[in-house]
Amino acid sequence: MVQIQFYSLLRMLLKQERAELPPVEGETIAQLLERVQQQVQTPFLDKLLKNDGSMHAGTIILVNRHNIHHLNGLQTPVNENDVVAMFPPGAGG
Amino acid sequence: MLVAGVGGLGATVSQLLVRAGVGRLYLVDDGIVDWPDLNRQVLYGEDDIGQGKLQLARGRLRAINSGTEIFLIEGRIDENFVMPAGLSAVADCLDNYQSRFLLDELTPEGVFLVHGGLHGDHGQVLTLQSGRSQPMAKIFAGICQPEGSIPVTPDNVVIVAGLMVNELFATLFGQPKLLNRCLVVSLADFHMAFLDV
Repeated sequence: MVQIQFYSLLRMLLKQERAELPPVEGETIAQLLERVQQQVQTPFLDKLLKNDGSMHAGTIILVNRHNIHHLNGLQTPVNENDVVAMFPPGAGG
Repeated sequence: MLVAGVGGLGATVSQLLVRAGVGRLYLVDDGIVDWPDLNRQVLYGEDDIGQGKLQLARGRLRAINSGTEIFLIEGRIDENFVMPAGLSAVADCLDNYQSRFLLDELTPEGVFLVHGGLHGDHGQVLTLQSGRSQPMAKIFAGICQPEGSIPVTPDNVVIVAGLMVNELFATLFGQPKLLNRCLVVSLADFHMAFLDV
C-alpha cells in the first residue's frame, strides 16, 4: 500500500490524518493526488495545484522524507510502501 | 544559545531561557516595536512603540534574571552574518524562509538548530543538526514566503515557543526529541502529529 499523510490545515480540511491506496504501476505523484482526492471525497487539489498543474508554493510534498522538489516534482514515481506526506508549514515567527 | 529574532517566538523563547537560567544568550534582530506586535510579542508594551527591540529585550530579560549574559547582534541573518563561537544551540525564531535557510547553513556542524514556525493557530517545531539532517532549504524546497504579514494568535506563539524551549533544553543534554522529526501543532482541535523529515 501507499500511505498518504495530511498535516495541519490539510488535515483539518480533509478531516483525516491519512489515507492508504494500493500502488498503481507507473503512477506519479500527480496521478496519486487525483486518486486521493477521489477517495477522500473532498476537493483539495485546487489548494495544492495551480491551473497549469504546477504546485502552489505553500505546501511541501515529501516522498519517504524527501521533498519532491529534489526528486522529479509532481512526476515523481510512487511505489509500494512509499510514504507521501503533504504539509503546509507555518512561515511566521 | 543564540535566539534569531526577538519577535513573537523569540520574545517568549528568550524569556523562558532566561527564567530557566541559561548562562549566555545571543539575541539577533533589527526591528522596532510596532502596534501589531503587541498581540504576541510578550517582551514589549505600548510605551515601547518605535523603539528598537534588541535593547528593550535585553533590559526586560536582565530584570528577570541578571545572571544571564546577554549579547546583542543587531542586524539580519544574511550572507554577512557571523555566528558566534561556542554555541550550544540555535533557536530559529525568524519570520521568513530566506533568513531561516541561511541561519541553518550558518549553524556549525554539531550544533542543534531548533526551528519554529507559525500561522494562525497552527505551528511546527523541528530540530536539525548539520551532518545528521537534511538542510532546511532542502526539506522546505519550493516553499515561498507569503506576502504581507502572517496572522498569528498569541496563544499559538507561547505554546510553540514553549515547545521550542523544551526541545532546546533537551539538546543541551544531547537528547533532542525532535531531531529530523517535525512536531506539527494545530490548536484548533488540540492535535499534534509527527512528520519525519
